[in-house]
Amino acid sequence: MDTQNPAVLVNGDLLRNYVGTRVRTVIQVVRPDAGGLTGRSTDEKQIVVKGTLPSPLTTFVEVIGVADTAQSIRAEIVTNFGDAFDTNNFNQLCQLANGDYRHLFI
Amino acid sequence: MTYGSDFDGGAAFSGGGFMPSPPTQTADPSPSAFSKNRDTQTLIPLTAKQINKALLSNDDKVNFIIDGVDVSNVKLVGMVLEKDDRVTNVSFFLDDGTGRIECNRWIQDPVDTKEMNSIMNGMYVRVHGQIKGFQGKKQLVVFGIKPVTEFDEITHHFVECIYVHSYNTKLMKQKASISNQTHTPGSAVKTQAYKTAPSNQFTAHYGVHHGVEGVEKMVLDYLMFPASLAREKGVHQDELVSQLGIPLDRIKAAINFLMEEAAVYDVDDVHYKAAANA
Repeated sequence: MDTQNPAVLVNGDLLRNYVGTRVRTVIQVVRPDAGGLTGRSTDEKQIVVKGTLPSPLTTFVEVIGVADTAQSIRAEIVTNFGDAFDTNNFNQLCQLANGDYRHLFI
Repeated sequence: MTYGSDFDGGAAFSGGGFMPSPPTQTADPSPSAFSKNRDTQTLIPLTAKQINKALLSNDDKVNFIIDGVDVSNVKLVGMVLEKDDRVTNVSFFLDDGTGRIECNRWIQDPVDTKEMNSIMNGMYVRVHGQIKGFQGKKQLVVFGIKPVTEFDEITHHFVECIYVHSYNTKLMKQKASISNQTHTPGSAVKTQAYKTAPSNQFTAHYGVHHGVEGVEKMVLDYLMFPASLAREKGVHQDELVSQLGIPLDRIKAAINFLMEEAAVYDVDDVHYKAAANA
């Protein structure tokens, strides 16, 4: 993370609340694109990522960057998160981190 | 270091993990009762934001307080940045998405060097250490650092932070309300026990029925369910047999006992209702 700004934990649904701010999320890679990749969020929404990717890519990646639109992120850092990841856990964490327990995170 | 993988409810909440102090010490409500004793120091999972917001404890001006708990040993999970290798120490920033903490790992022997050599910028790590304040900034003196290999650990750490925060703030509220009442030694212990709340509810209803045990208790409990109380005709004794899995003769013996205690009355020959109202 290049800047000192915190990054909000989001899933597909929450991304639209944070367009223009720094976010972080974990997505499942659907396919690489020119200039990035297309992925599926932990709540089954499509997310497009633009930026440099690690190679080789694992099934899940964490993307930290600025949300361009409600469905895309301009990535600063993309990290391989392996081929096994509990999406349900992460999804619920996003909801908690943006709900009752926001004050612990942002 | 962590509070253990086998989840024994009694042990988990009786001083093994993030509890502020063992039950015996809570008779004294002052904050210093649960600070410096080494035996009661616990490892608390935190986010960088929580640490940065932490206030110095009024007592000793050395330790910090988070959610009403003296915090010294902490665990964090985040990304290593700006790693700087020096002769006697390695410093780096730990960024977990909620904020940044400056960390310092002192190098004393080759094992330490080896551990730090395997840590790179951009890597996710689990860190535990002690919070120190220095010129208004928080720093972490790192005891141990390990790369994260399974990334569910990141989710798990944050969930753990939420849980510990929630538990400690609830404890704070209970302590605050207890100190407002007349203080008796016995009552202080209750705030530590995780399962206290439900049993308080039942003792209020039983009143004189302290001696109710076994089958009688099961029958009375069943008749005290809101669903049972709501039924005008009461509960058929066969239903008690099938729901509780107890033979009819024992059910009837229990009911007779409860009727003598005036805890239960009969609507007709085979239907019964609890006398106390919920």
